[in-house]
Amino acid sequence: MPEFINSIIVSIIYTSLSTILSFLIGLGLALLLNEEFKGRNLIRTLIVIPLAIPAVVAGFSWKFILSSEVGIIGAYLLRYLLNLNVAPLAYPTLALGCVILADIWAKTPLMFLILLAGLQAIPKDLYDAAKVDGGTSWKNFRYITLPLLRPLAIIALIIRVIDAFNSFDIIFCMTKGGPGTATQTLPLLGWKIGFLYYNIGEAAALAVLMIFMIIILSNVLIRYAIR
Amino acid sequence: MINKQVRVYNIFRKIVIYVFSSIYIVFTLFPIVWVIQSSFKDTHQIFQIPPLLIFEPTLESYEKLFRGEIFQIFLNSLLIATLNTIFVIVLSIFAAYSLARFKTKASKNIGFWILSIRFAPAFAIIVPFYIMMYYLKLLDTIIAVVIAHMTFNLPLAIWMLKGYFEELPVEIEEAAMIDGATRTETLIKIIIPISTPMIFAVSILTFLFSWNEFLFAFILTSRDARTIPVLILALSGTHKLDWPMMAAVSTIAIIPAFLFIHSVQKYIVRGLTLGAIK
Repeated sequence: MPEFINSIIVSIIYTSLSTILSFLIGLGLALLLNEEFKGRNLIRTLIVIPLAIPAVVAGFSWKFILSSEVGIIGAYLLRYLLNLNVAPLAYPTLALGCVILADIWAKTPLMFLILLAGLQAIPKDLYDAAKVDGGTSWKNFRYITLPLLRPLAIIALIIRVIDAFNSFDIIFCMTKGGPGTATQTLPLLGWKIGFLYYNIGEAAALAVLMIFMIIILSNVLIRYAIR
Repeated sequence: MINKQVRVYNIFRKIVIYVFSSIYIVFTLFPIVWVIQSSFKDTHQIFQIPPLLIFEPTLESYEKLFRGEIFQIFLNSLLIATLNTIFVIVLSIFAAYSLARFKTKASKNIGFWILSIRFAPAFAIIVPFYIMMYYLKLLDTIIAVVIAHMTFNLPLAIWMLKGYFEELPVEIEEAAMIDGATRTETLIKIIIPISTPMIFAVSILTFLFSWNEFLFAFILTSRDARTIPVLILALSGTHKLDWPMMAAVSTIAIIPAFLFIHSVQKYIVRGLTLGAIK
């Protein structure tokens, strides 16, 4: 069944890119905002906003911005300023990239908050001790921050992988899995089989397969965490 | 000399922090702000290129909204989120208290089972749910959506409250029980009052997640019980998109988020990770 294989590939690309990028951006932000400075709380609150708004609105906002009719990026920047005649959401590879971008936008704050909590739990005297021994920033990061952050980072990754793998709302709102099947991840394929073609049994089978995939995936990550 | 170097380094550090966090904040807020400002444009203004930054705002879309069926949908969303919050809080207080205080071999497993529901694909839950609701003849009713939203909000509330109750000292309860209070009395008269801040936070999160939820509401409703997220999608499916109208509905949909973001900010990680991270 080629559509199933296609969806697995799309899901893998979507999940891995979205997880890795949002994790790295979240880590970067957490490291930045771990310092004390004026306006930190305000910045934190602003960064967290995407977590509280409906995923459908997130999807719509991006669709709106990227639209080649009215969007400030799609119509103004790409078409008017750069004179490129592309509609981001109508071109398969670009559409996948855009959907991933929206997902990163929506979920990075969670990575940021988890990792920030982890950073703040690291005792400050460790860094003071390292300073006495002449540790550089990089060495501090490599030998103190990373190892102590690792358990929480793994939890963050597991949560993120599961979320991305199950992600439905944003993709559905932006592309409905299209153009063609370019952004059709497994949950979207399931929706299509179950509620568009009304093959409820087949959709249930897919759901069971997805549960197994998640169990395997998170077990691999947990193994890696314990080692 | 060294002092000066340190000072320059610190200033440099601050600049880096401010520059990068500003870039990220622009990235985060831009889509939202753009949608909000577009909701005050009319159809003509929204199609103008280059996009208008300064324009005469109109409330046209909002007027259209409240004249139509959308008011009913708004009420549906409100009712579903409120009912869901009430049921979830009442059930989860008792469930969380018993999981926190009566430790048996089974209670750990029950805890894990509750948790695993959160990580199952929503899709795996919705299929059997749809079949059940079909045979109960509850499709397209508010009750169906309320029950469906409990599948993810109940584990969340139970795990957050369980963690909180476990941290409360048992001594207070023991003291009350020595004075002749029963378990239930202790829970209602002592535990619940001291847990008000947490219960409040859990209620807000529950409300917010129910208000924001899309997939369950989308699959279980067709006309009468639609919620705001479902409406946004229905509007985007029409052939000729009414962009200002969609922007207006989206703006209404994010009102609760902006009202509550400040008070739930501290708890949102706990909620989304089911208490795994505090």
